[in-house]
Amino acid sequence: MPNLTEKASAIRNTILEMAHRSKSPHVGSCLSPVDIMATLYFDVMNIDPWDSRDIFILSKGHAAMAMYATLAHRGIIPMDLLEGYYQDNGTLPAHLDKFAARGVEVSAGSLGHGYNIGLGLAFGFKKQQSARKVYIIIGDGESQEGSIWEGAMFASRLGLDNVTVFIDHNNLQGYGRPTEICCYEPVREKWEAFGWHAVEIDGHDISRIKAACGEESQGKPKVVIARTTKGKGVSFMEDQLVWHYFIVTDEHLQTAKGELV
Amino acid sequence: MRNSFVNTIIDSCNKRDDIFILSGDAGLGVFDQFKEEYPDRFLNMGVAEQHTIGFAAGLAMSGYRVLVYNIIPFVLYRCYEQVRNDICYQKLPVVLVGIGSGVTYAPMGMTHYSVEDIGLARTLPNMTVISPCDPVEARLAASHALESSMPLYVRLAKRGEPAIHTNSDFDILKPQVIRQGHKIAVVSYGSMVEETLSAWNCLNDAGITPLLISQPTIQPLDIDALETLLDGITTVIVVEEHYESCGLGSIMANLAVERARSFRLIKMGIPAKFIHAVNNTAGLRKKFGIDAGSIVEKVKSLWNGA
Repeated sequence: MPNLTEKASAIRNTILEMAHRSKSPHVGSCLSPVDIMATLYFDVMNIDPWDSRDIFILSKGHAAMAMYATLAHRGIIPMDLLEGYYQDNGTLPAHLDKFAARGVEVSAGSLGHGYNIGLGLAFGFKKQQSARKVYIIIGDGESQEGSIWEGAMFASRLGLDNVTVFIDHNNLQGYGRPTEICCYEPVREKWEAFGWHAVEIDGHDISRIKAACGEESQGKPKVVIARTTKGKGVSFMEDQLVWHYFIVTDEHLQTAKGELV
Repeated sequence: MRNSFVNTIIDSCNKRDDIFILSGDAGLGVFDQFKEEYPDRFLNMGVAEQHTIGFAAGLAMSGYRVLVYNIIPFVLYRCYEQVRNDICYQKLPVVLVGIGSGVTYAPMGMTHYSVEDIGLARTLPNMTVISPCDPVEARLAASHALESSMPLYVRLAKRGEPAIHTNSDFDILKPQVIRQGHKIAVVSYGSMVEETLSAWNCLNDAGITPLLISQPTIQPLDIDALETLLDGITTVIVVEEHYESCGLGSIMANLAVERARSFRLIKMGIPAKFIHAVNNTAGLRKKFGIDAGSIVEKVKSLWNGA
């Protein structure tokens, strides 16, 4: 069993290098879901054989660097593909394009899309009596999309207990905190009222992530409210709004990599 | 036309088990037989159009051939971005079955009319757009929908449309000659073909015989086949129950310029304004000058100079 903390740290390092090389935004958004993604890809999800793999969908597609870096560390795409991220004549766009790389299951970037696609996939798997599972990460900002609640109202009726939705609740969206922008809380009670099995965890605690994945959902779809920190792992980025958009300079990279080792 | 389409789908379900129908709380009675025979392959998705299209994309990814049925604004407008990103961008074989083309739902009001859908659908790469004119074209459109591996939008009117075609076996992707003629060609699609045929019969009695064409597939437009049919034609009149600013007439105008065609192009469509008039379909068609009588007058006025 790989050391998941080390895997997560390696993925974060790769994200920082990608962000620095490409001078692209969203580094803070990419660092918050890494522990969840490392746990899924290196422990929880069945990806072998590939044709009957579990499906992971990063519905908050602006965290694409986290997706590409995780796929590369898991050996699903070559590491050198990352060099073309967000480059002229490059390989990987800043929001997910399923035709860009193996393992990118869904094209996503506009919020409130990948999640609904995931629910449709999960329903299809159920109809086919397949054991395949669907894991989805949405953002807390993304939770303001109407499509999220349209799907929430529907998935429980269908008893989609093969779906686990993680809310990467890093408590900072593009221009503020969700609770300041809308009536975000109480988020757990909202999902429970929509008929979901809700679990609330520290989204950086790998043992809690694993436990949440294994928790029996009583025939309901499962939502894991993962309390995370935007910019997790880099002290000057943590819980700082600006790191939704700021660019990683040479100096930032040097300091950050020292912290992540 | 609607029943012909749906019945073709139901018939195919005997032979294949991958067909799934999602309806958006619409189509009273349309799917009763389907639901009875195939209860495991139908879902009423409720009033949630964005979710429905995303869900359809996911269901298609799991291997199903998914048809989404609703009134056109709710299968294409409300959820345009889902159609664009989830279905067309991902090149998934989802069939959008929209009913109530043009003003066939009059006098339901503007929210339920579909007078810009062709223009909207044509902005979507990978999307095939078919607007059948009668039960025969609707059946062929359904057959094509079940075989195609690409996104598809089928634009239906309502039900009870008369049969236009006597031949029932042709390529739905190609323009079809409804009546032979010369000098002037009247090109139309969807339920407008009923009006153009009625006009043709009236003109024929007066010794005027324009070429009458049904163009069921708007995207991709088989322009080579259309040009072949238009050989020797001096005036092309496009009649459509759609905004004339962004429909087939506009597409033809672009192509005429791009291909340096020498025919004169006349567009007969609905002016690009919100419709506040309260009237039935026939009344609105007459108001907008796209009814059979208006077509007769237009062709007569052009015939001697054509």
